[in-house]
Amino acid sequence: MSPLLRVENLVKHFPIRRYLFGRQTAVVHAVDGLNFELGAGETMALVGESGCGKSTVGRLVLRLLDATAGKVWFDGEDLMALAPDRMRAKRRELQMIFQDPYSSLNPRMTVAQTLTEPLVLHGLASGRQRERAAELLDLVGLAPQYLQRYPHEFSGGQRQRIGIARALAVEPRLIVCDEPVSALDVSIQAQVVNLLRDLQQRLGLAYIFIAHDLAVVKHIASHVAVMYLGQIVEYAEKRSLFAEPRHPYTQALLSAIPTPDPGIKRERVLLHGDVPSPIDPPSGCRFRTRCPHVREKCAQEVPDLKALAGHSVACHFWHEIVPPAGLVVAKAEVNERLVRLQAAFR
Amino acid sequence: MTALLEVSGLRTCFKLESGGEFAAVDGVSFSVDAGRTLGIVGESGCGKSVTSLSVMGLLPKGQGRIAAGSIRFEGTDLATLTPAEMRALRGNRIAMIFQEPMTSLNPAFSIGDQLIEGIRCHRDLSHEQARAHAIEMLRRVRIPSPEQRIDEYPHKLSGGMRQRVMIAMALSCEPRLLIADEPTTALDVTIQAQVLDLMRTLRGETGTAIILITHDLGVIAELADEVVVMYAGLIVERASVERLFAFPQHPYTIGLLGSIPKLHLVQDRLHAIDGQVPTPMSVVPGCRFAPRCPFAIDRCLQAAPVLLDLGDGHQAACWRAPLDAGLGLVR
Repeated sequence: MSPLLRVENLVKHFPIRRYLFGRQTAVVHAVDGLNFELGAGETMALVGESGCGKSTVGRLVLRLLDATAGKVWFDGEDLMALAPDRMRAKRRELQMIFQDPYSSLNPRMTVAQTLTEPLVLHGLASGRQRERAAELLDLVGLAPQYLQRYPHEFSGGQRQRIGIARALAVEPRLIVCDEPVSALDVSIQAQVVNLLRDLQQRLGLAYIFIAHDLAVVKHIASHVAVMYLGQIVEYAEKRSLFAEPRHPYTQALLSAIPTPDPGIKRERVLLHGDVPSPIDPPSGCRFRTRCPHVREKCAQEVPDLKALAGHSVACHFWHEIVPPAGLVVAKAEVNERLVRLQAAFR
Repeated sequence: MTALLEVSGLRTCFKLESGGEFAAVDGVSFSVDAGRTLGIVGESGCGKSVTSLSVMGLLPKGQGRIAAGSIRFEGTDLATLTPAEMRALRGNRIAMIFQEPMTSLNPAFSIGDQLIEGIRCHRDLSHEQARAHAIEMLRRVRIPSPEQRIDEYPHKLSGGMRQRVMIAMALSCEPRLLIADEPTTALDVTIQAQVLDLMRTLRGETGTAIILITHDLGVIAELADEVVVMYAGLIVERASVERLFAFPQHPYTIGLLGSIPKLHLVQDRLHAIDGQVPTPMSVVPGCRFAPRCPFAIDRCLQAAPVLLDLGDGHQAACWRAPLDAGLGLVR
């Protein structure tokens, strides 16, 4: 069976010009040769730090940005080759949820207007658009009397639910979620993560889940791609990635997450320095300037993303690298009392 | 021995546009001993930042005021100080780092100018001496080639570097107390790890007491000795960091811990806390967490609980504390 989405050699370079119409002086390598697949009903997480190109990938897949090169196959059709009006019609099947619930809703539109606009644009549910809007609110756990309200009357978490309802209005098959919970408070974040999971199970949605928080990703993804400077450095099924992180960058990312449990002691991989500029990425392996295991070969040869039984890694020496102690806790001690108390929350 | 900082019954009010006032912080007491790190944790709007601004005397003029309570630093009541005396203290004995390293540096001056200005405000040093001290501070926060970097402008530095400059600035006069308000929230995780590591090392070297304000319980677990959990302007739980994570007592703390996705556990669902943080205008007569609390009983809706001592310095403001007895978890 062919996957719902297949991305082939996706490249996006942003030109830099000194003046508005001046000669191009340099290029930002935002996304540089990406390949991945996503099946219906699955969640693929794109993780990485600021500037790694993860949000650009999301926008390229929906063609909100035009790619420099590469192909995006959606259900057997090359999205890059579609005429603009065909693409607009196609977006019924591909929707997006944005990070900032404060700027992604039009403050002059009521919830009802926000939710019926996509229906009108795609000619759906004609004659019963109000009922459909009420259904959508119900789907995301909001009461139908909110239809007449404006965005400023809602909290961040509620706005994010409205954003999700808007994406669901046209019954899409794929939703690109660009950091959908990172602007929310922890307790609200959990509500929205649970909602996204429930909706996926009920509606069979596929998600591209863009995030920087590996703990959230562990909770929601089926597959994870770790990105660094526009490239995927490791790609695997979730369980495999968290059980056996192979790329030194993935290991560093995992070890950098502060654990809310003072009892877990871990050896920390501290990366030195900052992410280099994507205008002039390092030769060879792009991670080599910060890698604790760097050798001569890393500067000379670009490591390919080698596929090894469904777990790919782009590192010359991954099989020699020993992950730091305590990075993968096989069995964390479960606090029985806390589990019982927390079960009282939904 | 008296504590380095002692806040008691602090109530900070803000003016409403419609007239009247609301209390963003509504009767908060805590103390910090020399060399210790106190974590203040809570979600947006719980009053954690207002608490720190009150201590620093940085409440926006004409809008916010300390309505009740006292703040004593090294035995002196800060309310009795003149603005000039407060200025002499701030940046000197008490320093602060803010969340946004992008906006808390002045883009029009080099980082050296900004560091030197702070140092010369509080120390009787010549420009050259202050510059040498500034370079030394930049070296201590691990900024590579500080002799060159000192003349650079903030826009040339990355977020992590700017936060290091902020830390250098805050520590340049060897403060006794450092207030760090979400110091790593705007940073990427690998950079956050660097900054937390740096703060830990510097704390060991200087013995500075720290008030660490954050919404991230992971950061608290990394750095704090003692923790205060705030909810809707009040302290709901206080404990040592070990006890708080191993044996939390307030339902809000328990729910908050349950809503964080864990890296080391396989979880089917997160235990989300229903509803949202109340706005200061909609404060109920009873416990402020009661509308979201699965353990709430009638009493919780009628009267506000006070902080109750549970032994070992552990306190919780909950009518049902210790929770275990009420739920049959203790035989």
